[in-house]
Amino acid sequence: MPDIYPGFEPRILAFTCNWCSYAAADLAGAVRVQYPASLLIIRVMCSVMVHPNLVIEAFEHGADGVLLMGCHPGECYYQDGNQKAKARSVAIDEVLSLMGIEPERFRLVWCSSAEAEGFASLVRETDEALRAIGPCRRRRDASNYSKSELV
Amino acid sequence: MSLTLCSEALSGCSGCEMSLLNAGGSSLSLLDRFDILHMPLLMDHKYFDSAGGAQEIDIPKARLGLITGGVRNEQQLRIAEIMRRQCDVIVAFGTCAAYGGIPAMMNLFEDEDLFRRYYRTAEGTDEALNPSEVIPPFLERTFALDEKIAVDFILPGCPPHPDFITLTLESILEGKFPQLPLVSVCDCCPTKREGKGSAQRIRRFLKNARRQPDKPISEMRCLLDQGLLCMGPVTLAGCAGMTGGPPRCIEARVPCRGCHGPVRKGGSQIMDILNGLVSNGIDTQNLPDRLSLLRFSGAHGRMNRRSARNAH
Repeated sequence: MPDIYPGFEPRILAFTCNWCSYAAADLAGAVRVQYPASLLIIRVMCSVMVHPNLVIEAFEHGADGVLLMGCHPGECYYQDGNQKAKARSVAIDEVLSLMGIEPERFRLVWCSSAEAEGFASLVRETDEALRAIGPCRRRRDASNYSKSELV
Repeated sequence: MSLTLCSEALSGCSGCEMSLLNAGGSSLSLLDRFDILHMPLLMDHKYFDSAGGAQEIDIPKARLGLITGGVRNEQQLRIAEIMRRQCDVIVAFGTCAAYGGIPAMMNLFEDEDLFRRYYRTAEGTDEALNPSEVIPPFLERTFALDEKIAVDFILPGCPPHPDFITLTLESILEGKFPQLPLVSVCDCCPTKREGKGSAQRIRRFLKNARRQPDKPISEMRCLLDQGLLCMGPVTLAGCAGMTGGPPRCIEARVPCRGCHGPVRKGGSQIMDILNGLVSNGIDTQNLPDRLSLLRFSGAHGRMNRRSARNAH
């Protein structure tokens, strides 16, 4: 399938929690699961310590997508950090919609430390979704990419 | 030697200028140290030579430029650019210039919505067509000043307190910028806080806060604790000036509306307050008057019209 936005390489920022999703990313590397190179990982101690402003700032600084990754519900190392992150993600969705940023660009996902393949498929899914909707309008070079007429 | 001064009012309400006049005695003592070259508030100064000479907007060169209001149309943009060129130091004066202010709430709507309301559906208005001349073309939204020109100093407030206006002008005369407060409204609010999680939901401000009118503010319970949407936690302090008194809205026993903009430059008031509320288990989906959380800081692309939000 031809590229929908030719030449466009998404930039995905992932905040991964130290205990589950970062370990999953680590495992994905160790067992050599392939996933797109568009991912930039920032390790944090828990998904709840990512202040919503960091997500907003990521978009303002030109990210095309942000993944906030935590442990599965009930498996948080700090008991309920991921539940709080979930409550906050509602507020993030709302602010992003006011800013004119598509809801698909921000995802809160769960990933356990054994799920290397799950991690990779989450990244693949996000990468494909972003390739389909194109660059975030906040990107300085967003106007360089336009939708291909072949698609 | 006196300092040369130019001032311009863009997309605002002239409240900042009123506050400047309100500085009273202290501004009078400053007056002989300034040489005011251009200020539409005080003097009639034509932009264009009526004899048909210069066709460019004519603002004299000055050391200091005060600009109030955001940038909404091409004329204002041009004036802002010329002010930047002619003045060595530009001060974004007031919340509109700093963060968009009230006029930036228009960013949620289409221009056509505005025209329809203004020229056709407003009560007591005789229907008319959209004007085709005199009104300068609109830009795509309301911009804060620093989105369009470089700004050297931001003096927020709707309007800025006369104390801080005087302080800013005095400091600039001494060749430096003043230190404005860097804390939130809560930091200088004397109301009683009874701990996190005491408010279960936020109600509309239809009924007054619980208070005893004869007792001082320090006897009143925090308005956010009482379930009123007070923007104090996410708003820069300074509305009470240097009097040391309580924040002005709180003094009137009304929740803070957020007029000084975000505490940290570049912060987002709506994100901070929503985050605070959801972290305390309050359902923000049913929050009354949600969009007013960006009442004073809707520029910088924080608010977008519906068409721009849906289409890509």
